[in-house]
Amino acid sequence: MSRVPKEVRSWIYDFFYNERSAAYLKIDARQCIEEKGGNLEHYGLSSLRIGKPVADQLEFMEGLLPCPELPFHMPMMELPGGHVADLHLFGDNGSVWLVFLDATPERDHQQRLQQKAYEMTLLQERERQLNAKLQSTNEALRESQEGLSREYRRAESLLLNILPASIAERLKADEQIADSHAEVSVLFADIVGFTERARSVGATTTLAILNYFFKAADLLSEQYGCEKIKTIGDCVMAVAGLPTARSDHAEALANYALELREAARREHFAGEPLGLRIGIHSGPIVAGVIGKRRFVYDLWGDTVNLAARIQKAAEPDEIRISDATHQLLGPEFACDPLGETELRGTGRVRMWRLRR
Amino acid sequence: MLQKKICMLGGFAVGKTSLVRRFVQSIFSENYLTTVGVKIDKKSVAFPDKTVDLILWDLAGEDDIGSFRVSYVRGATGLVLVVDGTRPATLAVALTLRERVEAEFGAMPFVLLFNKSDLADRWAISDGEIDELRQRGWQIYLTSALSGEHVDDAFRQLASMVAN
Ligand SMILES: Nc1nc2c(ncn2[C@@H]2O[C@H](COP(=O)(O)OP(=O)(O)O)[C@@H](O)[C@H]2O)c(=O)[nH]1
Ligand SMILES: [Mg+2]
Repeated sequence: MSRVPKEVRSWIYDFFYNERSAAYLKIDARQCIEEKGGNLEHYGLSSLRIGKPVADQLEFMEGLLPCPELPFHMPMMELPGGHVADLHLFGDNGSVWLVFLDATPERDHQQRLQQKAYEMTLLQERERQLNAKLQSTNEALRESQEGLSREYRRAESLLLNILPASIAERLKADEQIADSHAEVSVLFADIVGFTERARSVGATTTLAILNYFFKAADLLSEQYGCEKIKTIGDCVMAVAGLPTARSDHAEALANYALELREAARREHFAGEPLGLRIGIHSGPIVAGVIGKRRFVYDLWGDTVNLAARIQKAAEPDEIRISDATHQLLGPEFACDPLGETELRGTGRVRMWRLRR
Repeated sequence: MLQKKICMLGGFAVGKTSLVRRFVQSIFSENYLTTVGVKIDKKSVAFPDKTVDLILWDLAGEDDIGSFRVSYVRGATGLVLVVDGTRPATLAVALTLRERVEAEFGAMPFVLLFNKSDLADRWAISDGEIDELRQRGWQIYLTSALSGEHVDDAFRQLASMVAN
């Protein structure tokens, strides 16, 4: 210090003393205030009492003394009065000097800088968290979109399964569908002795038989340009001349019936060849789609009812056709007349047995 | 007079200052004002047989553990370790700070606070993790300086630990 000129020394002294509001306490070995001075007023500490324990009067001194690592510097302590002080403690023969230097402007400045830095860091952390969340949300969205289009495709293929393709297209286009068709042929076919045989072979075998029968009905309908409309229990309902009109609808359906009977005979049900009763009738019908959530394409009209009754009247393995259908068949179809028969709810009807 | 120095330890912006304000003044502010240096608050906790004055040292929240001034902790008799429950990395910060303090001044009582429990949708600490820490016999609290939930409980618990 001796090499520092007096003028500089005095400037440093004045600077710290005035600009930084220097104040001091001397604390004795019993940790009581021994001496006080400087600008204590600046820190709101002018009432500190000499001879009393320092920790009782200055809370931050609690536990600090005796301090084995003097000198000890605690920067930027906010005092109860709101001022911020740099605190310096240093030893002097068992006593300790405590010096206060105001650091309020430095603290405020540093706080402004640090505030910015921490806010940036917090924003970055938050951004990272949100990005991670966004990513997983996107992932979930993509998955559910995929699921949705899978569902849509499935629904579409189901629609195609139960409806003729041209009808399904019109349905997708949101058209109302109810068409009259002047000339179609309608077929019903069911399994001979289904209930008793099902009981004797059990559910699994029965289901396999039904599956075989319905599949054959589906495949053949594609082959002969017919539409399988629905199944009712063990009964299949099919139509020809729909949804596109064709003049040979009766012949198409007759061929379908013959092939269906053949296909059935190739399978065995309870030890015997699978037998069918088939009935066909031709005439006008109304076709349409009903239902809002589940589409059902169906046919209505007397033609449908009569076809069903003819089928019920058929003998095992017989393809029974109405007179109207018979008149539409060419000479290549061999038929035996059955004469007029009484049908429930209809009266006397002329029918034929289609042989081949 | 029973007077005990307690230090708030934890990463920056975990809620140390907010917890002290909630405990001492029963107020909360959304605004984040980073602490630079040290601020000291005092609050008395009354028990049937005695009253303890807690001298709470709210230290600057350090993002850089290396710059933490362990010497501030001299004379402390207890620690409040604060973790931000929405920022998992702040758990390691609090535990490291405690290790550094104990290396310097020896073991001392502490409570571990998982703060900001009101931010349920951003909560990032699993119950399993908390249970595991509890099994070490640690006093753990899920606090919210915003709602005040469990704040008094935590400080009271620490007060009773340091009073003996
Ligand atoms: N929602 C919520 N915010 C909190 C809670 N505690 C603190 N904060 C907010 O977190 C930020 C940092 O708090 P502060 O007490 O300054 O953290 P410190 O750096 O540890 O002192 C501030 O914006 C507070 O308002 C809490 O329990 N819940
Ligand atoms: Mg703070």
